Parts: sequence; structure tokens; C-alpha cells
Amino acid sequence: MNRTRIRHTLVMATASLIATPATALAADYHHVHVTASNATEAVKWYSQYMDCLPLADRDDGVECGGAQVVFDSRPSLGTSQRTGIDHISFSYADLTAKMADLEAVGVRGSGVRLQRFEDGSTLRDVPGLFKYGFVFDPWGTRIEMVEDADTLGFHHIHLSATDPAATLGWYQQMFGGESARLRDRLDGVLLGDIWLLAMRHEAGTPASTAGRAIDHIAFSVDNLDDAAAEMRRNGVEFLEGPAVPEGGRTSARLAVIAGPDNVSLAVVEAGFAGVVTELSAADITTDLQPYTVPRTPWGTPDFQGVWTGDAAHGIPLERPRDLADVAVLTPEQAAARRERGTLGSIWGYESEWRDTTLGYVKSAPSRQVAMVIDPPDGRIPPMTPRGQELRAAARAARRPLAEGPEDLSSWVRCITRSLVQTPGVYNNGLQIVQGPGHVAMQVEMLHETRVIPTDPRPHLGSDISSWRGDARGHWEGDILVVDITNFNGRAPFQGSSDTLTMTERYTRTGPDTLEYQFTIDDPTVWTRPWTGKFTYVKDDTQYELVEYACHEGNYGMTNILSGARSREAEESR
Amino acid sequence: MTTRPNGLPMVVGALCVGLLLAPGMAVAQNADIARDWDGHPDLNGVWQAIGTANWDIQDHPASAGPVDTGAIGSIPPGQGVVVGNEIPYRPEALAQKQQNFENRWTDDPEIKCFMPGVPRATYMPYPFRIIQGDKKIMMIYGFAEANRTVHMDKENPEPAPIDTWMGRSHGEWDGDTLVIDAAGFNGQSWFDRAGNYASYNLHVTERYTPMGPNAILYEATIEDDTVFTEPWTIRLPLYRRLEENAQVLEYKCVEFSEDLIYGHLRKEPTR
Repeated sequence: MNRTRIRHTLVMATASLIATPATALAADYHHVHVTASNATEAVKWYSQYMDCLPLADRDDGVECGGAQVVFDSRPSLGTSQRTGIDHISFSYADLTAKMADLEAVGVRGSGVRLQRFEDGSTLRDVPGLFKYGFVFDPWGTRIEMVEDADTLGFHHIHLSATDPAATLGWYQQMFGGESARLRDRLDGVLLGDIWLLAMRHEAGTPASTAGRAIDHIAFSVDNLDDAAAEMRRNGVEFLEGPAVPEGGRTSARLAVIAGPDNVSLAVVEAGFAGVVTELSAADITTDLQPYTVPRTPWGTPDFQGVWTGDAAHGIPLERPRDLADVAVLTPEQAAARRERGTLGSIWGYESEWRDTTLGYVKSAPSRQVAMVIDPPDGRIPPMTPRGQELRAAARAARRPLAEGPEDLSSWVRCITRSLVQTPGVYNNGLQIVQGPGHVAMQVEMLHETRVIPTDPRPHLGSDISSWRGDARGHWEGDILVVDITNFNGRAPFQGSSDTLTMTERYTRTGPDTLEYQFTIDDPTVWTRPWTGKFTYVKDDTQYELVEYACHEGNYGMTNILSGARSREAEESR
Repeated sequence: MTTRPNGLPMVVGALCVGLLLAPGMAVAQNADIARDWDGHPDLNGVWQAIGTANWDIQDHPASAGPVDTGAIGSIPPGQGVVVGNEIPYRPEALAQKQQNFENRWTDDPEIKCFMPGVPRATYMPYPFRIIQGDKKIMMIYGFAEANRTVHMDKENPEPAPIDTWMGRSHGEWDGDTLVIDAAGFNGQSWFDRAGNYASYNLHVTERYTPMGPNAILYEATIEDDTVFTEPWTIRLPLYRRLEENAQVLEYKCVEFSEDLIYGHLRKEPTR
């Protein structure tokens, strides 16, 4: 489908007009930038299932009915949902047939994930609007599928805004376009024949798009210097550039600016053709699994069973410096690492205590180099000044001899072990039981069971804080996404505070593997969110979670405290 | 581990129910209740007992509480949930129960935030959630992070691998009644704050029968030859929590029990 590119006048804010004569600048929609672990696979996926065409001049993008979608080869920080760009949309002449095709494909296990409405259907027909449904690409980009004969192909970009009217006004002022109502129902800005729509963000501030499945929207201008000067005069915050990006295919420059609602926007000059990126060493996902996730009788993906984190025992949280360029360990290295973790001196535990030496561990050791996959260097991002203060204060508060239970960790106190169940030397079991609308995750260590509602319901009121927070789940295709808030901050993970929000993504990647991804977002403590992952392995045949009655038998606490009192008595003698 | 003949407990449970259903509580008309994908009653939801059974499963008058908190700390009167009200203790076991009662303000596992065991978890004054899946049923209780897995997918009940607070549970459907065979207990749980107790030989047969869309008739037949001369039964309704946002909240009571348990070991002793 051909689409005429219309130049838009960059309309300046009134204040600027008084200060400076308006310079006529033209901005075009250029592309949507999607984070996919593997651009080559993404090009294939969008070509095969979304009817896009691979770009002729570069290998990391597609043309979808007149608009470009470009892919970045790095692990996604999570779905586009709940960021300032909720989804992109494609329009098809016969959506019923298209969705039926995708459903059939999905059943064969290609990575097409259909979002089901509450009644189980994948398609809705709103009289006067159009038919629509949602799918997810394998990397978390939410795609609305619509049947709008007026605009086939790329249809719209749907923003999620704290103040939709203000956000649309901002885009219109900044990049031109025409204010209009789609089907006389939805307020939007028409850029050429691409709709920019905005919905009201459900709760709080939209999460930053940076690194998420839809990373940014790009606009092109003829003269980037002029455009940048105008934008600066309008108080726009520049995140990058203007500069020729590292790995740029041409000498054309790019600038990244902060749009409303934590949306990143790129402004590029004529001739820009993206950058060449190497596949990140941290990325060892096999993106498209030829595996069909089984379903429960009520239609959701079925994750039930007993899983263990044993295979992941020994994976360090952060990438060791000497393994900076290693994609995966060799099987020998992985075995040696587990051996070190098992036989080394850990808390003085004898080897007979450990599941590996007892022969309970059946899964081969993971070859993953480190848990942290984002930042791509596998290192936890720098702390904010406040984060450093909190860490220093926590260290200063440590006492050599515990004066009472509060001086010991929540794990030693048998309250809770950790927000991330980093596998240890024993009791790495995870039992999942599902019922309609709920997923129960029973963690063996400390016998905690988290109940995750998957029906839509708001989080608890902010005054109800707790050790493990308040979990809300939803299905994104075959992925269970869990948002956790309301932490009391008293069981910190790597120094996290009570402003932590955590996002977990559970993906059944094969009959016996469940990938667990966790994103730690605590702006008080870290300069950016960070993400780690490891894989649970199914073990239904010989593993059973046994009640871990920790507090009920916490002789360790009695011994630690009485030992401390004895030591004090000795020292005072 | 004591092995018990499979099937026998179920028969005993069924007999008791047959005898006891006569007056009082009506069991559901089948059409009234939600059903799962297999046509069994759908017990998914948040449930809670109402009453004073956690104070004392037997009839009891109002009495003073343990501390000087005025009427707030007093113990409300209550009608018991034991069918016939009498618990057939063996004489030496009754003496132990009375000793438990005397020491209840320090020895009750509840005061130490220990897991409550079965059936006590059911009628503590907190909600619990039933998650009814197609292979297992989980019950997540509102106190001490207690939870249990009811295995619906085992051909034959397997003996518990080790004795535990919450025991090992196997379930099956008897018409519209979920029947759970629970054993493998560690003998440290009490039935209530009045010191009623059982040993590790405890065997509980629970029956969950819908009384309508929002109530379940709960019956637990208690067998323990070490402590009781014959089986006896607890019977009470469970009510569905109808609040749209009903949720079993995280209630980690460990820290509230630490002074009681470890206060004498603090640098500045509190006990």
C-alpha cells in the first residue's frame, strides 16, 4: 500500500514565537522502534504474521503498510503495556479471517500470542467503530489488530497518557499533523494517514519506554540543527545527541528527546538508516520456541506442577568481569561452577545437607553466565546518591553481635527469604497451582504461597504495605506477567527500598522449562530499572515440596542470640 | 509413620454425616451452586468461618482475657462446633488438655505464630482462599502463611513423607462433597485457644459440601486413638467473603511473636 508522506510544520509554542521568529521545520513520522532480542527473527515474524515486508536497504526493519517498524537486538525490559506507548496497530480488510489464521498458527506454537477477552474470544466488534483484537509479538510488543477499511496497513500508535488531551496537543505542536477524531469517537492526531491516539493511563505515571518492547517513536526532519534549536527553545529535554550514533549505517545524525509520559522520541535527519548492533552476549534466549504451551480446562496457559531452580543454582546475579565477552558457559564450565557452589564452604554447611550431593538434583547446570540481562553488561546499574546513602546507613547499622531478632535478616528470622528466589543449595522447589482467575505460587523455602489474581483488579490501597508486596497478574499471550507493589521495604533485594515496583514475567519455553524474568524498578535506589532471569525446570516425578516450618523450628535464632549474650558476658569479664 | 487402611476413614466420615445432617443446616439444591469445568462444585473463592470456635470449639461462657485491656481483651461466649459438644478424651489426655488450658497464654501454638494445623486453620478468625485447579486444590490461610495442597490427582493416598504442621491431604469428590483425607500431622497443633489437642496419630476426614452459592457446610471427623476413645466431629458453615476486593492479605506474624519467644535473649531482656 502506498502512503503519501506529508510534511508537517513544527508549530512552536506561543512564548517561543514571541522570543524567536518561527522557523518552518518539517517533521515526518519515521519509524516505531521495537526491542526484540533478535532483529532477524523479528523481521521474519512481522513478515510472516503481520504481512509486513522486509526493508530493502537494511536487515533490521520492516515496512508495514507504509510505515516502518525497526528492531533492536537486545533483550526487552518488558511489554509495551503500562508504558507511555501502549501498543501499535495494524488494520486488515478481513480481521475475522486474519485472527483465525493467527489462532491456527498460534496453536502450532509459532510465538503468536493472542490476547483473550474475558469471554475467551479474541475479537470484539464495536458497532460504529470497528472490529478489533490484540496480539503480542514474542518480545512483548502489544499489537492491536483492527478492521478499518479507511486505513489498511499500519493504523495507529496508541499512547497511554496521564492527560491524553495535553499529550496529543504536545505532539501536534511539536510534530505537526491534524487534530481529528477517529470514527468520530477517539481523539487523535493524524500524521499523514497514521493515527496517533491517546488513552488515559490507568494508575500512576506511565513507565519509561526506554528498553521496553516499544522503545521509541522516530520522526524525521530535513535539518536537525534547526529542529534541535527550536526544540531547545521550547524547553524539550534532550536525552541523546544530536550526533551520529555509534554503529550508524550512514553519517546522518539522531537526537533522542523526552516526550510526555516518559516516552522516548527520536528525531533523525534525512538519510538516517539505523545502526548496526551486535547481538548482546547476555542474550541467550532462543526466541521462537517450537512449543505449544498447554492450556488449563478454563483456557489459560497451564504452568501447573512442581518446578525447581536447581539448574540455576550457582548463576551469579552479576556478570563476572572476566566473562564480559562470553555468551554462554561451556557445559564443563557450568558443571565446574555448580561444583564450586555445592562443595565450597557455604555457611559451614556440610555437603550432606545439599540437594546436589544428596543426588536430588536432576537437572543439568545452567550455562547462563549471569542473571542480570539488562543492563546488557550484566551489571546492576549505578545507585542514586540516595541509594548510596541508604546502603551506607544499612551497613553502619549492622552490629557484630545481634542485640535482638531485628538485627538479623528476614531470612534468619524466618519471615521471608528474598524477593527473588535466587536458587540455593537446597529447597529450591516452586509449586504452581492454578484455578480460574488465580495463580498460586508456593515457594518451598519458608513455605510462602503467593496468590496472584489474574482477573483485573486494582492494587491494594497504598497504606497496606507488606514484606512481599501486593501481586497482580495478567496474561500476555502465553506469558504470565506479575506486577508487585506495596512493599514495606523491610526485606530489601540488593538494597531496594519501599518505592520498589517489581515486574515478573513467567514464560513456559518448553515442556520442562519455565523462564522467570524479574525487573527491579526502584528510582530511589537505582538510576534505572534492571532485569534478571533464570529458568526453572519441571520435576513432577520425584520432587515434592515438603512443609518448610522455619519459624516453628528456629533453633538457629535461639542459638545466635544466646551465643551473642555469652560472648558479651565473656567480653565483660 | 502409621499406615492406615485406605478407605476406612472415608466410610467413617460418611456415616457421621449421614447421622448428623438431620436438623439445622440445609445442603444446597444442586442447581444453586457454581460448577467447574468438570461439573463439580466450584469452591474457588475467599471463605471464612464466623463464631468463636478458635477460642473454644466447645460451648463456653464469656470470660476474662489474659491482659488488662478491659472488654476488648475479654473472651466472648460461644456455642460450640463439636457435634454433641462432648469430646471423648481418654482420661490422661483430658488431664493434658486441662494443663494446656492452664498454660494457654504461653503454650498455644497460635501465640507463637506457629502454623495452626487442620482443622483449626479453617475456623480461625481470618479469611482463607481456595484455589481449585484441575490437578490440585490449594488452601491459603490468613495466619502464619499456612497453606496446604490437596492432591486430587493421586490414585491412592500416599503416606506423608514426614510429619508436618499442616499434614498431607488427599481429596476426592463424593457427589457434590469434596472429601479430604488429611493425616501426617506432627501432633503439636491445638484445636483452639482452650487447649483442645490431638497427637501425631491424628487423622482428619473433612467434608466440604456447598449449602448454596455462598456457604459451605464444613465437617471434620477427628480420629486419634492415642487421645480419644472414639471419632468425633466438628461441624460449622463457612461463608463466602462477598466483597469484590476480598483478598487474603499477607499476615506475617513472626515478628509479633519474637518477644514472647526470644525476649529473654535480648541484650536488654524484655521477658
